[in-house]
Amino acid sequence: MMTYIVFILSVIFVISFVGFSSKPSPIYGGLVLIVSGGVGCGIIMNFGGSFLGLMVFLIYLGGMLVVFGYTTAMATEQYPEVWVSNTTVMGVFLLGLLMEVMLVLYVLKSEEVGVVFKFSGVGDWAIYDTGDSEVFSEEIMGVAALYSYGAWVVIVTGWSLLVGVLVILEVTRGD
Amino acid sequence: MNPLIFTTILMTVLLGTMIVMMSSHWLMIWIGFEMNLLAIIPILMKKYNPRTMEASTKYFLTQATASMLLMMAIIINLMHSGQWTITKVFNPTASIIMTSALAMKLGLTPFHFWVPEVTQGISLTSGLILLTWQKLAPMSILYQISPSINLNILLTMAVLSILVGGWGGLNQTQLRKIMAYSSIAHMGWMTAVLVYNPTLTMLNMLIYIMMTLTMFMLFIHSSSTTTLSLSHTWNKTPLTTTLILITLLSMGGLPPLSGFMPKWMIIQELTKNSSIILPTLMAIMALLNLYFYMRLTYSTSLTMFPSTNNMKMKWQFETKRITLLPPLIVMSSLLLPLTPMLSILD
Repeated sequence: MMTYIVFILSVIFVISFVGFSSKPSPIYGGLVLIVSGGVGCGIIMNFGGSFLGLMVFLIYLGGMLVVFGYTTAMATEQYPEVWVSNTTVMGVFLLGLLMEVMLVLYVLKSEEVGVVFKFSGVGDWAIYDTGDSEVFSEEIMGVAALYSYGAWVVIVTGWSLLVGVLVILEVTRGD
Repeated sequence: MNPLIFTTILMTVLLGTMIVMMSSHWLMIWIGFEMNLLAIIPILMKKYNPRTMEASTKYFLTQATASMLLMMAIIINLMHSGQWTITKVFNPTASIIMTSALAMKLGLTPFHFWVPEVTQGISLTSGLILLTWQKLAPMSILYQISPSINLNILLTMAVLSILVGGWGGLNQTQLRKIMAYSSIAHMGWMTAVLVYNPTLTMLNMLIYIMMTLTMFMLFIHSSSTTTLSLSHTWNKTPLTTTLILITLLSMGGLPPLSGFMPKWMIIQELTKNSSIILPTLMAIMALLNLYFYMRLTYSTSLTMFPSTNNMKMKWQFETKRITLLPPLIVMSSLLLPLTPMLSILD
């Protein structure tokens, strides 16, 4: 099972995305987002990116999602919608689940899957130890490169965040 | 809006388009598009009524979907070529998806439905920014990936856009919707020649922006958003009726005016590439555009409906001061003799 752990985790990832895309109340969307964040962290860590996975847990789940949860709790209604309370939501959720199950069966059964790009069934999802960079970890060097060669990206991202705050304040301010 | 914040947000719109036009990394281009989208939302919502909020939401949804499609095309390109630089797109699927995403951002058919509704819901100045500045970024990306665009898809979208832009504008009396359908048709002309000679796309974009700027500024000057209120300009500033006439005929592509230059060059370029039916169809469908411009000039400049005597002295607010209006009017009508200077655009 451990060779196919990335495949399993990505299936759970897609199922949890279907879970919040079928639009229950935001509280339940946040719940499923926690699951998807954790599973996404698992996927990244299986590719060797332990630092980035930690970032996902700390900053995304522990920072942004907590704030989201608090604000949603302030603005929630008395009987929030679950997946089974509304026929539409349940229908969309089941449809998404059905499509994912069919896709998984297709990938598992056939030798080669050629949807947009060809990959050979489940084989390509297994993690191989390429053994190239045993000295240093690639993803830590990537993060370090972001702050040295990629200074422009940091500037643009920081400016986008600032303008994002200004835009949101401006839009919600009203008259 | 607080002037400092408004300036910051406007500068971010500029910065987003600049990042898109000057980046060589696909991810930065995507970031530029998102920054552009994020920052233009409060500009579209300058007045707080439900119509502007609905228009901004529609704009946000369509542009965000287009950005998602763009990201998917970027990742498929990454999977097949292994690199992030923006040259040509190495995979036909990625090329088709990217063309569709950029067509959604521009408002080409079959993704044109948001353009009239969004343009109608926002103020004239915001509509001006929407129809001119926001077209620069996607067009620059189309220019850069033009060697690898699937010709069939792009030409189909272009011809359908010219048809929809002409046909859809026929029943409109709201000026902003007329300008929106005119934008759809002009985008169709621009993308039709993109694969053959991208320089002409840039020429068409330049002249289209000048003409649209002029038209919008004339509308802002007379504070008119419907055909009916435009037909009262003889009362407010009689000079602008002539200017509206000249600029509208230039937008329709009539010969001695500068709007003829891009159409002429595009038809010439298409016939040089041995496609004759296509430019004939495009020229015929541009007549639909000319028809509703002519209808605007008929009610504005060419006729004066019978009115009572007290309408001849109309009370109005102080006239807005529009910067750069005279040079724009001159440029959007008199540039045709400068056509041999096209060689500098290479």
